[in-house]
Amino acid sequence: WGLRQPGLCACALCRFRAPDLRGRCGPGREAESRGPRIAAAIMSAPTMEERKACWAARDEFWRCLDGHTEDAPQCEKLRRSFESLCPQQWVKYFDKRRDFLKYKEKLESEGFQSPETTRKS
Amino acid sequence: WLYLRARKERERREKRQRELRALALGQGNFQLVDHRGQPRCKADFRGQWVLLYFGFTHCPDVCPDELEKLSRVVELLDRDAALPRVQPLFITVDPERDDVAAVGRYVRDFHPRLLGLTGSPEQVRAVSSAYRVYASAGPKDEDGDYIVDHTIIIYLLGPDGLFLDYYNRSKTADKIAESVRKRS
Repeated sequence: WGLRQPGLCACALCRFRAPDLRGRCGPGREAESRGPRIAAAIMSAPTMEERKACWAARDEFWRCLDGHTEDAPQCEKLRRSFESLCPQQWVKYFDKRRDFLKYKEKLESEGFQSPETTRKS
Repeated sequence: WLYLRARKERERREKRQRELRALALGQGNFQLVDHRGQPRCKADFRGQWVLLYFGFTHCPDVCPDELEKLSRVVELLDRDAALPRVQPLFITVDPERDDVAAVGRYVRDFHPRLLGLTGSPEQVRAVSSAYRVYASAGPKDEDGDYIVDHTIIIYLLGPDGLFLDYYNRSKTADKIAESVRKRS
């Protein structure tokens, strides 16, 4: 899931990154007029509406994963939507959160069944 | 038996009070700037009950959640006309990005009385360490974006400016409001 495919961040979808000439996502549009280095430094924080849109996309993606498997191809479209509506740093953060929640779930359900696991923990 | 239980409860509360007072968090003054550009120091809040939260505007989920919770606490307390009005405060742990304008845009989405504070990195470091706030900026990505790992706590300060209590992420708005009500 870490790979970003070029050309998927269309301007209409990507508030957080306008595509560069090679179709890769660049810094936030608001800061672009001030030059690329400054743009990178002062990308503005998401507004409340943008936060809610990001969380909704994340939740929809996670619901899809819950219904299939953790890397289900059926959830690909929702994954892309999630990536376009959330800052890259938030995508990484939520991916880690998901991993942790899944790990915790696994421990809680399997921990009691496997004597080996309980011995280790 | 009920008397004994009440006494035990009171002793437990008093012990907690002594422990919190011994912690003596938030000593000394702080010099910051509010989200309207006005300089603010700790003495400005004397005479007011304050609920203080440290966070940053680029925060993915925790800070908006905690600030919503904080807003809810203030709403609950406001309902009681006999209680003094609590002052909610937000202090950034990311002064490099969270300037006055950024903090202004952020606090607008929460309780109308929420006052945002920022300052120079030195000023923010000073107030963070006074409250023993852990804050650590993560690595920057190619957009220069980063997440600041930080302690998630709401602090209660009394009208004399002294730290009285703290509430972590698991404390609900109702529990926090109840705790504040008991002291005022």
